[in-house]
Amino acid sequence: MTKKILIMAYATLFMGTGCSQKAPDLDIEEGRNNISDATEVASDTVSIDENEYGSENRDALNGTQYNSSSDGFQSLYFGFGDYTVSSSMEDTIEKNANIVHSVQQRVKIEGNCDEFGTDEYNYALGLKRANAVKESLVSRGIPENKMVVISYGESNPVCTSPTDSCYEKNRRVDLRLVK
Amino acid sequence: MLHKRFEGNFLKYLLFLLITCNLFAVDATVKIEKDVENRTRIALVDGSSVPNSAFFKILQSDLKISGHFLADKTHHKGDMNSNYLLPSLKNQEYVLKYSLTQERQIKLLIRLMKSSESTEVFKKSYTITAKEKIPFLAHKAVSDINTVLKYPDISWINRYVIYARYTTPKKSEIVLADYTFSYQKSIIRGGLNLFPKWADKEQKHFYYSAYGGLKPVLYKMNIYTGKRTKITASEGMLVCSDVRKDGKKLLLTMAPEGQADIYEFDLSSKRAKRVTKFKGIDVKGKYVDDESSIVFVSDRLGYANIFKKSLFSGSVSQAVYHGRNNNAVDTDGNKIVYASRESQKSFGNNRFNIYLATSDTATTRPLTTTGTNQFPLFSFGGTVVLYIKHHGRKSSVGYINLESQQSLLFPLSGRKVQSIDW
Repeated sequence: MTKKILIMAYATLFMGTGCSQKAPDLDIEEGRNNISDATEVASDTVSIDENEYGSENRDALNGTQYNSSSDGFQSLYFGFGDYTVSSSMEDTIEKNANIVHSVQQRVKIEGNCDEFGTDEYNYALGLKRANAVKESLVSRGIPENKMVVISYGESNPVCTSPTDSCYEKNRRVDLRLVK
Repeated sequence: MLHKRFEGNFLKYLLFLLITCNLFAVDATVKIEKDVENRTRIALVDGSSVPNSAFFKILQSDLKISGHFLADKTHHKGDMNSNYLLPSLKNQEYVLKYSLTQERQIKLLIRLMKSSESTEVFKKSYTITAKEKIPFLAHKAVSDINTVLKYPDISWINRYVIYARYTTPKKSEIVLADYTFSYQKSIIRGGLNLFPKWADKEQKHFYYSAYGGLKPVLYKMNIYTGKRTKITASEGMLVCSDVRKDGKKLLLTMAPEGQADIYEFDLSSKRAKRVTKFKGIDVKGKYVDDESSIVFVSDRLGYANIFKKSLFSGSVSQAVYHGRNNNAVDTDGNKIVYASRESQKSFGNNRFNIYLATSDTATTRPLTTTGTNQFPLFSFGGTVVLYIKHHGRKSSVGYINLESQQSLLFPLSGRKVQSIDW
């Protein structure tokens, strides 16, 4: 009710304001300001294909460097808006820690979100999830410098159906070996 | 036919625009007859050898969103060079005669006539080579007419909108558009390149984050030469959220030690000063109050909300006392626009509305009242707010003129907008 009253009050406020310009009488001397040939719209812009750049981005383009869960890791799933590691994740964390212990390579921990946040907030949420998993692995004796975290926000969905079970699959942390 | 493809696409846009204008008629377009009376009545007379209805519609949109004109909706045809005006046009204050021709170049000639006296008050011609950029000709012409008539500046209609959109998982492209999205050009495709942000008011350079490697990298790119410069890199995430007016410092969200916080980055010294220190989420720093403070989005109360912090002291204060999930913000001077979630569904379409407030929390007013409205952004000059509206599976970009309350919606393609700047 309060909200309705507020909205009505704002609408009333709008009605009291607004544009009041009248067409002014121009003081333009005859012939002055009358014509100027101009190319005033900016010239054409570039169009870049990132494949033209170096290997730093090519890795991401061809999608082969950071393969999916074939390295034996298991993804961890989070509640809506949540970034805490729950007790139900302990077994999965333990299994992942054993793999990290057994390999020489560094591990990339990727935080992901469903599509419901907005730009920066979602990327920060994904990073909080990735860091939560990283800290759990550190507590199991994994050196910090053996892991690197990154957030992909909502950019890397594994499922795109508009269903709850689909959104749950996207609120996850993936682990991969850095090859 | 002149620009047939362009025209066909625009007619689809127009149809959608008409439908969405009706669908979302409740939005901030508070149709006030008093305002209508005070706007300048103007008619368009098309003197092109091949009349172009798409171009006519863009001129109409420009005149409407300016907030200063009440444009006659009839697409009149007439002689470009004659001073004769049809008697039916004498009830207009001004008549804009224009002619669009395409030979080796696209050329637009305009003549602004004062109806009562059938005299020319302004004449100008414009030339471009790329026909895709025809919408910018319309914007420039209307902007110039507005200036000649000494109305408040609307040069924002000439500016590029830059946005990132997802294409496939872990892939995106960065696109330039005019404000109506009639013109769109992908300027970076391939890879995962996000968060484009204009680097200068001239819109020659922009910053963006490349997520291709182990660490996100912030680049600055020239849109005319393609030259790019690496600015910095950070583990976890990296976003350029705002650029100081003099272009010398940036507000970045980054996580050099794993924890995402807001930093002010000095481009000359390459040093980053940490502005926020919080174990939760702090993102989207925006300069406010003559760039002495920032506002930002944080979950320090357990939900996303807008907070304010001086750049010279440690205290943080709540900037918005309304809503339970406010996760996007932009600023202009001491004005704030923010998106607020107003339904509590965990999934599916939630209702988001855009609110206008002041940084001292003194006033707040809604700008939208229906649908899912996100990504609020002030125009250059702060008189208009851009936002993205989602309705079902369709999205559109909306504009609200804060002074005249005029609003417009233009359709977007089906690809999800990741972030946008103007």
